Amino acid sequence: MQSANMLLKKIVRSSVLPVAAQHGMKRDLFPLSRTLSLSLCLKQDNSCKPSEKLDLDAWKKVMKSGLQEEVSETVSEPQELSSLAGARETLEMWRLAGKLVPEHVSEEQLKTFMECPSKSAKKKYLKYLYLKELHKKNDKRKMEEKRERRLEAQEQTSKTDETKKSPFLSLWTSTMDKAYNWRAAQSMIFGQPLVFDMSYEKDMSVREVANTVKQLVQSEGCNRRAVDPFHIHFCNFKDDSLYHREFLKHYKEAWGRLLITVTEQCYTEVFPKDKLIYLTADSPKVMKTFDHDKIYIVGSMVDKSIKTGVSLARAKRLGLETAALPLDKYLLWNTGAKNLTLDQMMQILLTLKDTADWKKALEFVPKRKYCGFVSKPVSELKKTLDLVNTLKLGKRREEVQKQFAKNYPKKYKLKQK
Amino acid sequence: MALFSQTSHQGFQALLWKCHMFWPVSRCRQLFAASFSIPSREKINYFSFMTSSSTALPVDPKETGVLPTKERSEIDCKEEKGWDKETKEIPEGKHHFSSSVGAAKKRSMSPAVSRHKFTDVQPPEKPLESEEWNRLRENFQLPEIFEEVMLNSMIRCNSPIDVAKSLLTHMAKRDSDVAYSMLVKYLTLCVQQGQVSEICDVYDIMKVRFKILEIGAYNLFIKGLSNSDQWRMALTLLEESKKIMIPSRTSYESCIKAACCHQEMKLAFELYHEMLAKDVVPTLDVLQSFFDFSRGMKGAELQKELFSILLYLRDNQIYPHKTFMWSIKLWFESIPGRNWRGHLTNIKNSGQCPVCNHQLEDSNLTEEEYSNLSERIIRDVIHGTDTFRKTSPQEFEAFQTFVENRVPFDIVIDGLNVSHIKPKKMQCENLRDAVDCLAKDNVRLLVLGRKHMLLNSSNWKREVMKEMQAKADFFFAENISEDDAFLLYATLRSGKHCKFVTRDFLRDHKACLSDSLTRHLFRKWQRGHQIMLTASGDGRRLKFLPPFQYDCVVQTTGDTWHIPYKDVFEEKYSYEVPRKWLCIQQK
Repeated sequence: MQSANMLLKKIVRSSVLPVAAQHGMKRDLFPLSRTLSLSLCLKQDNSCKPSEKLDLDAWKKVMKSGLQEEVSETVSEPQELSSLAGARETLEMWRLAGKLVPEHVSEEQLKTFMECPSKSAKKKYLKYLYLKELHKKNDKRKMEEKRERRLEAQEQTSKTDETKKSPFLSLWTSTMDKAYNWRAAQSMIFGQPLVFDMSYEKDMSVREVANTVKQLVQSEGCNRRAVDPFHIHFCNFKDDSLYHREFLKHYKEAWGRLLITVTEQCYTEVFPKDKLIYLTADSPKVMKTFDHDKIYIVGSMVDKSIKTGVSLARAKRLGLETAALPLDKYLLWNTGAKNLTLDQMMQILLTLKDTADWKKALEFVPKRKYCGFVSKPVSELKKTLDLVNTLKLGKRREEVQKQFAKNYPKKYKLKQK
Repeated sequence: MALFSQTSHQGFQALLWKCHMFWPVSRCRQLFAASFSIPSREKINYFSFMTSSSTALPVDPKETGVLPTKERSEIDCKEEKGWDKETKEIPEGKHHFSSSVGAAKKRSMSPAVSRHKFTDVQPPEKPLESEEWNRLRENFQLPEIFEEVMLNSMIRCNSPIDVAKSLLTHMAKRDSDVAYSMLVKYLTLCVQQGQVSEICDVYDIMKVRFKILEIGAYNLFIKGLSNSDQWRMALTLLEESKKIMIPSRTSYESCIKAACCHQEMKLAFELYHEMLAKDVVPTLDVLQSFFDFSRGMKGAELQKELFSILLYLRDNQIYPHKTFMWSIKLWFESIPGRNWRGHLTNIKNSGQCPVCNHQLEDSNLTEEEYSNLSERIIRDVIHGTDTFRKTSPQEFEAFQTFVENRVPFDIVIDGLNVSHIKPKKMQCENLRDAVDCLAKDNVRLLVLGRKHMLLNSSNWKREVMKEMQAKADFFFAENISEDDAFLLYATLRSGKHCKFVTRDFLRDHKACLSDSLTRHLFRKWQRGHQIMLTASGDGRRLKFLPPFQYDCVVQTTGDTWHIPYKDVFEEKYSYEVPRKWLCIQQK
């Protein structure tokens, strides 16, 4: 079939037939080929005859010729490079090969790169740097665009030249900051303490510590802006620890002026034991209400590789009361781990402190982690979740049940009599 | 005019190609709908990768929720299918999962190109002129990445290399240079089709053009050249690539296979040992090729080497798959003057081989191994980084004294695990049934539980608990403690005869052990001491699966070999062991 077709095409190409073909003989002659493809080969025939074939290896010549001068300069033998330069070369080649590699790599980063134990670790680290670089670039670009817009706007206002007289002074950030600082200062004296336990440094990787500090900085910011801030304590804080260095990176000279209490002491030495409650997701006890007389402890830890029971172990060791947020009680949990970030914890606690409204407080749990708020008894919700999951994911029922069993303790199990 | 018809023709083909996929039309529609319902922000994200003037932060294309998971998985699966088709065209069937061509493709495909966006680009069937390429490029929605997408689709469709050459020529004419990534893609295509002379040409060009190459290109060169008569060059390239990084296992695999092919067994074994020394795990293919190519060859040295491979399988508890097993069998039978005969058989629980009546090794550990394992379990599993994570020092001490006073037990039961065996029955009754089954003729039982079992609740009736406590010793841990760790400790402390009952596979505890040797010991001990139980049918009776009497590893007595093997990918979990054996004996 095909060969016949090919033969016919060849005949067509043989320059006698095109005329005939164009005169409507094709319908009888070529029952197999579509007019489309036929016209195609006819047209191609005109545009590119086999006699004037492309020089397919032209690119090789180009590549080689363009390099003659260069070759004479560089020694083609790869010399023994120093390891750093070698690593740089490798990175450059990877970048050329289309891997995610940042354009600029500092010496320090290069050293970190070389210390990565495995190839996959190296790739991961590079990807991280690459994305970081990209974010930076984008931010810069946005800033510039913003500035341009502002300039334009200014030009326009200068044209109109109508300065409005406002009865209010415009409050600049410094004034705001002063107000916040007054509040924070008040909280230092009268506020309810909130403890961040800074004893997890050895449980974390360098990057996790950096993330932890970022989250703490954010939490501190939220707290400062709150109506009724906590008095934040960083306990078990070692000077010149990794935490400390990271904080200095973020706050620079403001670190000394922060209105929080930083101490090397353990919280058990600072506060009476019976007032302390350690918040941890692994706790068997669930927090019912926010207690204004208690002192809550949050572990300053980011654990990307969910290490269960680390903070619970700390609380057990010191014999402290523990509590977990009542996530299951108020939220129909969907996916993800139940440990929240420190800034989310901070927001939740602040909201609870102000309003005692769980629903409002748990708004700060990431939306992707839950399907909705619980308004019905859990057993009914289970059915709904079943249905949702079956519809949404096409999961099998047992899987969904397993998932549910993982998320919800046994006491909610449907009684099967 | 010509081009118009061509593109329309292409569009037509692409459409056809799209629709002959295994989606019904409705699925197609859904897909389109899905791709239209992209929120605008995400759309921007999508392109921000590809354009230099991006306006939003990039999102990993795999992570963007542009398509619902289901569609996405189907698309992936479609791609995989395409790959399967192509890998079949590569000589030598692969058994291990990642075909390196697939890997190469993944490597060459930068994530900047969203994978499922341009899978419908059809490469032309004939080499094109520069103008034609230009026109195609202009009609493409993202001209910046046109060449990349085109080459990727050529790799996917396995186009003739002339077409790729014409594209490279076009690029070279335009920029008087061809980017490294494009060369690598072209190389992938050549390797895919075994175009040796082209591979050599690309190598020459790259060598001159770049000071060093990256490991991906080396892998491709080695792979491409090792199947040709230029295989010596692949070896030199392997040497070169060592300067940059540890070569991948597939590179070693290609070189070793090439050496085997040309009967250079000594060289092949040198490479193999070098690979082991660098902690590169050999693929089963490599090991198999040793047996395949040594068939019928003489030499005590060679035999020793191959036996050492079998011992490597033993030490690492690796089970060869069926085809590998055949290679081993045929090699044994081909040794001149030795008269080995192999038979396939199943070995029952007794551990006696039905073919040669040889009793397999029992699964007991040596004294040294045993004490080593006990120590490691206490250190890594129970204490770990912090004793408080799984128990508390006081509790563990209390448990230790409790065990010391009552040792030795014969069977240790994980009470809570057993109590869930039949969901329709009360938990305490489940446990009672199990205890009743096991409590015969003076067997000393220990049941581990948690304190909440002592509270008279709907699931734990006090009188039933009382009844059980007469038959067995009980230890109740704190409600937030891990009872499994206690289970391991009590069993190990009681001695080698002691067994434990749980349906848990103990994977998390195995993972706590830091080195693979101890992990293998743990698995071996577990196989020999764990009684699994199942509720048969509608659950009138409990069934206990006895532990293995024999050890399931490659083993030899000098004049017999017993090799367990698996049907390809049947036993996929580390706790599953094959039941099929190859028995080889000397007549």
